[in-house]
Amino acid sequence: MLTLHQVVAGYNDSEVLKGVDLEVAKGSITCIVGPNGAGKSTLLHTISGLLHPWSGDIFFEGRNIAHLNPRQILEAGIVQVPQNHSLFTEMTVRENVRLGGYLVKDASKVNRTLAEVEELFPIVRERANDKAGNLSGGQQRLVEFARSLMLNPKLILLDEPSMGLDPRTLKQVFDKVAVLHESGRTILLVEQNVRTGLSASTHGVVMESGKVRLTGTNTEIQHHPEIGRLYLGGTLAEA
Amino acid sequence: MELIIDAIITGILTGGVYALMASGLTLVFGVMEIINIAQGAFVILGAYLSYALAQHFHIDLFLGLLITMPVMFVLGVLIQVLFIRPLKRDRTMLSILVTFAVALIIEGVLTILFTANIVTLKAPYITQSFRIGNFYLSYIYVYGFLLSVVLLAGLYLLLYRTKFGQSVRASMLNRTAAQLIGIDVERVSALTFGIGVALTAAGGMAFGATTAFNPGSSYDLISRLLTIIVLGGMGSLSGALIASLGMLIIENVTAVVWSPTWSSTVFFVLLVVILILRPQGLLGKLEGRKQ
Repeated sequence: MLTLHQVVAGYNDSEVLKGVDLEVAKGSITCIVGPNGAGKSTLLHTISGLLHPWSGDIFFEGRNIAHLNPRQILEAGIVQVPQNHSLFTEMTVRENVRLGGYLVKDASKVNRTLAEVEELFPIVRERANDKAGNLSGGQQRLVEFARSLMLNPKLILLDEPSMGLDPRTLKQVFDKVAVLHESGRTILLVEQNVRTGLSASTHGVVMESGKVRLTGTNTEIQHHPEIGRLYLGGTLAEA
Repeated sequence: MELIIDAIITGILTGGVYALMASGLTLVFGVMEIINIAQGAFVILGAYLSYALAQHFHIDLFLGLLITMPVMFVLGVLIQVLFIRPLKRDRTMLSILVTFAVALIIEGVLTILFTANIVTLKAPYITQSFRIGNFYLSYIYVYGFLLSVVLLAGLYLLLYRTKFGQSVRASMLNRTAAQLIGIDVERVSALTFGIGVALTAAGGMAFGATTAFNPGSSYDLISRLLTIIVLGGMGSLSGALIASLGMLIIENVTAVVWSPTWSSTVFFVLLVVILILRPQGLLGKLEGRKQ
């Protein structure tokens, strides 16, 4: 579904991605893990068009999207939920979710999608008129997930969905990642919380120093001895 | 007591015009995080455009806004696209230098075209006044205030009742998130800058109708406008409105009860006290915008 070929990208003069090759299979949940500075979030920014690759190609369903802007990439069917809280805190929860359908001109279609999203994420209806900034971190994450569905995307990029969440909220958030997946979306997520991220995924990718070091099913990654020693403090199977 | 009430009324009427001039400045800061030092020069340019239309084509000052506001809107969009958009790093700091250069260019061009002599706008209602109770109100102050109310209400409706307004507010709150839901932030920035400059056409006319001016008048204006948006809270429209009214009322009342010499000083002392107690300004937020 998504193929990256020798993608090089960075910020200003600093090269962060140093030739990334990656395949994301349709219908998968692919989790990218790796140490700080590996280029995980930069990779998502490059796919979503916030950064343009300096070289290399990004193919989505056969089309090269490497130099499209974020709006065109959204229209192609890729949506990103960024790492830092991305809700518009002074707007209501419903306004935030409706804005997810900003590119849709037909208001009735936006309303229909909103009703469907509310079914999947009841918090959108329950807290509809509350300011988004008044929600807890976990609730904000759920609303961000809900907003990401407004354009009916094919691929959802999740950047560190567990960041700053307590264990109970973490479970709720990853339950909803499963809901996103079951609704037919392919998911590419970046996680610092390696165990949680890989456990919730079908495939794993390990990045280091701007390159992909290892790919495989989540089981293969979890049991890989070198990766376990380097990044996970022992294999997950031992944990 | 009547003098104080009169000073308060005049403060409210002129404060409305200052709010109009400052609204563009704070809106532009909110969306782009740039400080448009040229806002004062745009106000004076707006005043001169009204002056030129009235002098050469005998077009009424208020009717002339139908021409000057669109012209200034286009000028604002062009300046944003040509000078502000290319700033990719240290945008806030560099914008001060770039817009200062724009201000100098505007001042230079105006001096060449109109000389540095003081001019005043002329219309029958500028010198006429009417009486309410014991108070005489000048028509131009009332008209200027009503113009500000109408334009600020229009701006409010644009921001809170339209899809474009949603995109402006979203860009103000979280630029990256706005991009990720498909908002063309660069386009929103250019249009917002255009709107901010268009509003100075109206503010400039109202300012020029009540105050004699020359191309150098922009320096005093920009210092006052910056003070207003800092006091109101950078990026807050309501804050700019409250700060404008507060500044003009305090200055006018001080001038009446004490001395015009101390009117600005008293206001700035109050400004310092308020900023010590509330560094983010009256309605500003301490937390920076998420990128």
